[in-house]
Amino acid sequence: MKKADKVAYDKDYAAAKKDGKPFFPYAIYKDTIIAGLAILVVIVLAITVRVEMGEPVNPASTDFLPRPDWYFYFAFELLKIFANQNALTPVIMATFMVPNILIILLVIWPFIDRGPERRIWKRPFAMGTAVLVISGLCYLTFLGASTPEGIAKGETLPLTGLDAAASAGEAVYLANGCSSCHMIKGVGAPGPGPELTNEGVKGWDNAKMTQWMKAPLAPMPSFASLPPEDLDNLSIFLNGLGTKYK
Amino acid sequence: MTTKDIGPKNPVEQGVTQLVDFVDERSGVKNSGRWLMFRNIPAGTSWFQTLGFTAMALFGMQAITGIILAMYYKPDPNTAFGSIASITNEVTWGWMVRGMHKWGASAMIVIVFLHMGRVFIWGAYKYPRELTWVTGAMLLLMTMFMGLTGYLLVWDQKAYWATVVAVNIFASAPILGPYIGDILRAGPEFGPDTLSRFYSIHMLLIPGGIATFIGLHLYFIIRLGISEPPWAKRALRVQRDEEDARRKAARDRQAGLKGSVSFPPAWVDDEQEVTR
Ligand code: HEM
Repeated sequence: MKKADKVAYDKDYAAAKKDGKPFFPYAIYKDTIIAGLAILVVIVLAITVRVEMGEPVNPASTDFLPRPDWYFYFAFELLKIFANQNALTPVIMATFMVPNILIILLVIWPFIDRGPERRIWKRPFAMGTAVLVISGLCYLTFLGASTPEGIAKGETLPLTGLDAAASAGEAVYLANGCSSCHMIKGVGAPGPGPELTNEGVKGWDNAKMTQWMKAPLAPMPSFASLPPEDLDNLSIFLNGLGTKYK
Repeated sequence: MTTKDIGPKNPVEQGVTQLVDFVDERSGVKNSGRWLMFRNIPAGTSWFQTLGFTAMALFGMQAITGIILAMYYKPDPNTAFGSIASITNEVTWGWMVRGMHKWGASAMIVIVFLHMGRVFIWGAYKYPRELTWVTGAMLLLMTMFMGLTGYLLVWDQKAYWATVVAVNIFASAPILGPYIGDILRAGPEFGPDTLSRFYSIHMLLIPGGIATFIGLHLYFIIRLGISEPPWAKRALRVQRDEEDARRKAARDRQAGLKGSVSFPPAWVDDEQEVTR
């Protein structure tokens, strides 16, 4: 803002204050009403919608369903959008680039938009940004709330050609909640992990796959705690997906 | 604060007055308090400007319910889940306090976002309130981080694995990532120390940060005054007057340029001025 604009604003604000009303009671009464209402809503929700207990943690069982609280759904959905470990949509976009760019923009916004204009209809750029960001966040939160949480108990994968080792590997896959992040032939959650229907096409050997299970790239958790034969079978299963097992 | 002396005061009132005077003599609270309460705010100050105070009230409620929960919660992997179960099912009013803390967290996030939206749409972050916005942005990030660290404390499967994933994400950041991961996990693996670390972060570190930043935020707000809504009656009147003055000046300039033969004649506009 130019010096003259600052002076003009200070003068205008001083005039607004001079024409103003005392903070007490004119602002305090509104504050009290709205804050009281908010607390009342919280109390009513606490009474009517009870907070339940989940399953206790068992780090040995990886039968899990990683779901954040609803206000992180947008971040979770970003992970799905950038689920693939390839050059176009690398995971690092969702885990690092996009969130950090948004945070930096948030903090330095007043130093980007510095014009003196405050009227809504005269600030199309700022309002456009607001509409874009707000609708984006709402949309991603809605997506996160409406996607199914993995697969039902007892559901199997529609695969053919499985041999004994691969069947054992499939059982490990299903028992350890892999399908709450990955999809195979339409079964399982569509992210945050990439789809595995054609995982075998990559041509990894079993040692490489086992190594990945023990120390994968974020956000995937490590499965190093699985017994070695489970890891072997899982690797055989995954390395044949889309080639031997379709 | 009696204005007329109508006999001896009751001893309680007298004691209170004496105490207030004692404190005032040493701190000057009376003056600053009076200034704080009765300073002018713009007449157009609207209902939208109650959201920041509401966020503060919710933070206060989270602090109170959180302190009560902390009296029963046991931050150890073997006991955490059980202590939450006992708060939920056994402790008198425990379910209520837990419910308020859980719903209060969501409410606070919603209100903080609405507050930020109001500030953004009004352009209230512009000169001279840039630093109010920056301290507010820090408050938003810390509020989100409260949600993240609190989620793990229930120690159920969903929260545990969601937090494993979240910490993996922090740890995957370039350069500093691995260190941040180790700090959050209290080591290379998720374990008992992770839970007590999250507990300490959730109930001491971040609330301390939020309290500090609310203080800074309020310092700026009180020093600079709350902004006037862009559509306040007074602001619109000033804008209209300015607009009129500008139009009149342009007209005068035109009249000056063309000498006495101005078209339309000055009185046409004047008449419109009257009818408007
Ligand atoms: C814990 C979170 C927060 C609390 C407790 C809080 C509290 C407050 C309060 C009490 C006010 C006075 C006016 C009002 O109520 O609207 C205010 C104003 C303001 N807040 Fe916040 N706030 C929070 C978060 C934020 C965030 C996230 C931002 C923006 C990134 C922000 C930016 C501002 C600005 C710029 C003002 C001055 C607006 C004006 O003068 O019109 N605040 N805040």
